[in-house]
Amino acid sequence: MWTRKAAFTFTGGIALILIGMMISNNQMMILGLALIAFIVVNSWISGHGDVEVQRTLSADNLYKGDDLYVELLITNRSNRKTQLLEVYDNIPHEMKLRSGLNQMRLNLSPGESARIRYVLRCPLRGHYSIGPVSLRSRNTFNLGVEEMFVDHHSDIVIFPQIKEVEEAFLRSRTPKMYTGATTLRTPGQGSEFYSLREYVPGDPFKNINWKAYARTGELMVNEKCRDAVTDLYLLIDSRDIARIGTVLKNPLEMSTVSAASLAAFFLKRRDSVALGIYGEKLSYLPPDTGDKQYFKILSALAGVSAKGEMPLQAVTNSLSGRFSRGSPVFVISSCEGDGTVPAAVRDLVGRGHEVTVLSPSSIDFERLVSRIPRMSYEVLKLERQNRLTTLAGSGAQVIDWMPDMDLSQALMQVRGY
Amino acid sequence: MAEDVQVQSDVTITGSAKSRTLHLKTLRKQWQIITLQIIATAALVGMYLEVVSTYVVGTIDHTILFSSIESLIGSDLPLGNWFTGQGRTGLARFFVPLAIGLVVGGLMALVAYQTPKTQQRLKLGFIITLITLLVGRLILGWLTGMIFSFDIRFPDDGELQTLEWPLLMIMSLLIMFVYLLPIIMGSRGIWGLSKKSIAWAIGFTLLFLGIHAILTFPLIKSQLGDYGGALATLESQISQPTIGLFGIKLVTSEQFGLILIAVLILVFQESAFGVIKYLEYAFRLPESCKRDPEYVNQMDNMLNTHLMHTFGFLGLTGIATMVALGFHSVLLSLVSDTTGSQWAGQVSESIELSLTYGLVISAVMFLSFMALLRYLIPWQRIWGFTYSLRNNNPSENEKPEKEFIEF
Repeated sequence: MWTRKAAFTFTGGIALILIGMMISNNQMMILGLALIAFIVVNSWISGHGDVEVQRTLSADNLYKGDDLYVELLITNRSNRKTQLLEVYDNIPHEMKLRSGLNQMRLNLSPGESARIRYVLRCPLRGHYSIGPVSLRSRNTFNLGVEEMFVDHHSDIVIFPQIKEVEEAFLRSRTPKMYTGATTLRTPGQGSEFYSLREYVPGDPFKNINWKAYARTGELMVNEKCRDAVTDLYLLIDSRDIARIGTVLKNPLEMSTVSAASLAAFFLKRRDSVALGIYGEKLSYLPPDTGDKQYFKILSALAGVSAKGEMPLQAVTNSLSGRFSRGSPVFVISSCEGDGTVPAAVRDLVGRGHEVTVLSPSSIDFERLVSRIPRMSYEVLKLERQNRLTTLAGSGAQVIDWMPDMDLSQALMQVRGY
Repeated sequence: MAEDVQVQSDVTITGSAKSRTLHLKTLRKQWQIITLQIIATAALVGMYLEVVSTYVVGTIDHTILFSSIESLIGSDLPLGNWFTGQGRTGLARFFVPLAIGLVVGGLMALVAYQTPKTQQRLKLGFIITLITLLVGRLILGWLTGMIFSFDIRFPDDGELQTLEWPLLMIMSLLIMFVYLLPIIMGSRGIWGLSKKSIAWAIGFTLLFLGIHAILTFPLIKSQLGDYGGALATLESQISQPTIGLFGIKLVTSEQFGLILIAVLILVFQESAFGVIKYLEYAFRLPESCKRDPEYVNQMDNMLNTHLMHTFGFLGLTGIATMVALGFHSVLLSLVSDTTGSQWAGQVSESIELSLTYGLVISAVMFLSFMALLRYLIPWQRIWGFTYSLRNNNPSENEKPEKEFIEF
């Protein structure tokens, strides 16, 4: 395809020839002919995009906020030069270039290769695809241009960020003895003896092994085996309302971060974790342990988007039958626009579950994007407070999670309720 | 973007990698860039000399204008003859002004590289010097006169006469500037990397050619009287071809001069703009890419190709134009030889047909045929084949110059 420059040159050439003929001026005619000849001669050679592209990523799965290293290898497999070739690797608009550049102008000889290296920052969780590779070839004097692309994609999953969670405050009221129990040879809170170790400040005095102290002369404490596996149920609210706030800070993002962090913590402790995500529909991942479950949970959380209006009651009605007896249930929801939350929580508590409601404060998220009059804010805040108090009254542990509050800091509130 | 991106710390260069970068400071000293700038300057000078020798020298050149002014005012102009070229003959009149024009353009380019503060100071200094030159003597003489005579008065004739020299000097310089505009702006554009200046140089040359063409149109020329008679008219239409290829005479020497002007304009334009294009690209790259040997290698490839194509394709453009211009005579002789018809003979005798319409039509026919060759001859494969003949084993050319730490 001709470029604008070629079109102007051609038009100029024709115009000069015609004017030259009109006024019998040789210089104009010759200048016009030279311009046309310039285009004609340059049309003999054109670039091509017959190249092989290979993309290497530093990882297929990353955590939100991590850097992704990308290397694009372009090889000219044809037996002629590519001429001026602009290579542009299409990256999702959610990702930001941190270093390097995802494009290059090159001119590859037959068999020659070039590498484009760049680093992307992934600030948003999700499933992404890098590619295709756009190519634009021009001739040296920019008279012809041709655009094409190489349909080469690399898929990547950005998991939610994992936050450190302090020592568990959650334990099953009914330790699992039979179903799916795993032998745990790890120290923790329990009844069976695990080992002796040296006393460190902060250890309870009741754990001191006085006999060992008498024998060795040094303070020793008894360490216990963890009792049994706990099934933990995480219910995440991904309704449309969860998108309130900014792209990076909204209830849904905080919910995914908290769910991923809790899942990581409990799976590390060899507990079983189940995940239920409700919004447009309910997706449920049955409880399981291990790295595979961890990966499944993170993948599910990576793909969560705010959609739908499903009430919590519908979720609990459908799932509560599957919940293990007395297992802790984590409901992560802003509790906005869902009148069934108190009833659902009451129902779960009634079934003997230890329910914890982690509620990102949607009003404060809304404040990040729009100005709410002080009076309205106060009223909305009061309404929310009442709603949370009702939930606490139902027997749940309720956490009011403010946007600027760290997860572990928020979890500390449990004791306050 | 370039400012936002930090040095790519993950890339570690070891081995025998070259430490060249694409920073402007380094790139400006690269031989390909300097060669392109020299080619552009040579093309500019060649184009200018060709234009002035064809249209200006001996007819409307600056020395004739200066002589006219001198005879009008009855005294010599302040600019020395060594400077203006008065007293010399032919193209020699332009040699010194041309050199001065190049120096002025170079100085303007140099000023363009200074900091804005320095530029401002230099401009201020120039303006003050100009004002001092213009009215300095008048004010000094007038004020001193008033102080010594204890009188407030207007400047007298003697004092006002001190304005004559500076005014004539500035007028002479302005005339020289107008004559040398393509050279000054062109050299400033090439070495000062200013697209605007290059456009000025080309635009002014084309404007001059256009105005000249209109003024030499017989109808208008006859209206201009003596002034029109002074304009150089090209007589290339009626002379016999003397320059050609492989023994075939294609164009007259006058036509060759005109082709040279057209090709040199193209060489100047493509080389000068090419330098700016590549430097702009390098400038916009982020810091990490400027240090990346891959980008450096590819920049080398692009510059080398540009250099080769400047010689190859612009040379071919000139040859194609020459052949196109001589193609009518080839066609006519072909028709005459093969058919023996009188028509060919009549057409060749008709100046209008063979040298204007016939010439253009046959030239356009030839160029159309050349354009069709793109589809008839697999140029790409031919280039590829010649390339592979030159480099039998491309893989041998890939020297492992650099190693990177894997991610």
